Amino acid sequence: MIEVQGLSKQYKLTKKQQKELQTQTQSIFAVNNISFTCQKGRVFSLLGPNGAGKTTTLRMIATILQPSSGEVLVAGKSIIKEPNEVRRKIGFLTGSTNLYDRLTPEEIVKYFADLHGMSAQEYKPRKEQLFEQLGINDFLKKRIGQLSTGMKQKVSIARSMIHNPEVVIFDEPTSGLDVITANSIIELIRSCKEEGKTVIFSSHIMSEVDLLCDDLAIISKGKLIYSDSMEAYRERSQDQSLTETFIQLVNQHQN
Amino acid sequence: MHTILTVIKKELRDTLRDKKTLFSAIILPAIAIPLLLFGVTTMQKNLIEKENTKDLKIVLINAPETIQEELKDDHFILLDNIELSNAKDSVKEEIFDAVLEFDSNFKTQIDSLQSGKVNMYYKSTNIMVQSRLNKKLDAYKTRILDQRIQQLQISPEVVKPLVIKDVNIASAKEQIGQVVGGFIPYIFIMLCFMGCMYPALDLITGEKERGTIETLLTVPASRFHILFGKTITIALIGIIAAVVAITGMVVGLNFIGGIPATFMEVISSMVSPKFIIMLMAMLIPLSFFFAGVLSAIVVRTSSFKEAQSYVTPMSFVVIVPAIMAMMPGMELTWQTAFIPILNIALATKDIVAGTIDMMQYGAILLSLITFAVLAIYASFKEFSKEGNVLK
Repeated sequence: MIEVQGLSKQYKLTKKQQKELQTQTQSIFAVNNISFTCQKGRVFSLLGPNGAGKTTTLRMIATILQPSSGEVLVAGKSIIKEPNEVRRKIGFLTGSTNLYDRLTPEEIVKYFADLHGMSAQEYKPRKEQLFEQLGINDFLKKRIGQLSTGMKQKVSIARSMIHNPEVVIFDEPTSGLDVITANSIIELIRSCKEEGKTVIFSSHIMSEVDLLCDDLAIISKGKLIYSDSMEAYRERSQDQSLTETFIQLVNQHQN
Repeated sequence: MHTILTVIKKELRDTLRDKKTLFSAIILPAIAIPLLLFGVTTMQKNLIEKENTKDLKIVLINAPETIQEELKDDHFILLDNIELSNAKDSVKEEIFDAVLEFDSNFKTQIDSLQSGKVNMYYKSTNIMVQSRLNKKLDAYKTRILDQRIQQLQISPEVVKPLVIKDVNIASAKEQIGQVVGGFIPYIFIMLCFMGCMYPALDLITGEKERGTIETLLTVPASRFHILFGKTITIALIGIIAAVVAITGMVVGLNFIGGIPATFMEVISSMVSPKFIIMLMAMLIPLSFFFAGVLSAIVVRTSSFKEAQSYVTPMSFVVIVPAIMAMMPGMELTWQTAFIPILNIALATKDIVAGTIDMMQYGAILLSLITFAVLAIYASFKEFSKEGNVLK
């Protein structure tokens, strides 16, 4: 479970940034006092236009960034007080991440397993299971630099899931991927749900959200403007498409 | 500890698979110095030989016959019956190499025991012309002097009031230490820095550029340990580069002919276990210092190109103290012992010469270690800033 409570991230603006944004304010909120809960065994989707604060929110949940105020509990552990406990429980994947070109899939996955402090007994069966499931065994010994984007994405998945995390955080996991490759991510999210994991992912593609998610939140300009179950959202958009409702909600907030 | 070792293992494997790093950290230092030494010595030797046997066109004006005899040599072409102003112009245009203009009364001056006046016109850009002519004129001078001594019936000592015998009590080791000792640290400091440079860019900026840093920050391992593992790898490559360079130099010297035996003896005595240990003890903290400083700088950059533009000028900053150490009068004192890079260069000179003060050496090690710790601390501070680590 992920419980986000009054989470904010404030950035100080430099003189140059003030000029660029044509503003006198000293600081801006990338994320402004948002709260939501992702339930175990359900897929939660964070929606929003570009620059809404999706990545910042997910980075705070993943302990990469420190919040300015507010708190997040990941599987009951505080990201502020026990970041290392949180890190043990999460798997983090973004669509834009690359890998180390000169290493092989096996070496990369082993590196992250070691950094997670996995023992050899834990690592071996888990690796075999993941590699089998994702079909990595075919290109096990090739260097990443020689692999296709789809193959790389599979390795990225294996790397994020090697320690069998309870909570998985995906930041726009399908951005820049073709349909076939994106499908491996969609399958991954489904299997995570089946295994009873907590899943949160950010997206701006409505069809993906419609396909996968149980709950959704929409943020715009750092503020939470909608948070409910997918069912309730579908009901709300009865006379129009899901995307239209999304646009409507964002526009209402901006006006 | 587990994290540090895991990071070192991964980063070393990753770095050593990179052809660019391999070339700049291992292959280049190994071959650059022997090649440079070999190239320069061979070129110099050839050049001098060529200049010494080159035919010189010399214009003689009012030259007595005796002089013409003296200059009769396979490689001198003597010309006369040319006016001075024309001859000078020709020297200027490098048609002729020099003009020797003797005073119209030269013969009388010499015969009446006076000084004979000669003007030599040449271009100093034409190397060896002056020295070759002087040699001939000196021989002529000696002959005249001998004649006069005989004629006046005086003993040769009369015109030689001082007999100076140079006795240099500096050992061959000290003399060579002065020359080589200034040169060696310059090479390994530079190569150590270059060795650290590329891995620093790859391990820190590269991680940011690829976006792999985000995932790395979500693992339950101490961020300091991750950074420290990277710093150790960077420093290690720097050390490897320096060691390879020194080895390359010693091996290279053994293959280059024409090096005096005493020089070789000093070189081989220099490469004693004591010298190597003392040098390595300074090299290790130096490399960590470089690794720390470079990491602190490149962690702020988000692309290779940007990182390079910060780091390249740094190599000039590193060269300056290393060159300062080669200046005459620059010696290891209690002040210079605390200036990083300069202290290591000066100490190497003293170690080679065998005149190192162990107290000062200890102070150098301590100051190098302090600087290394400070640099690593600074890089960790920079690494901990959110704005620096994420794009």
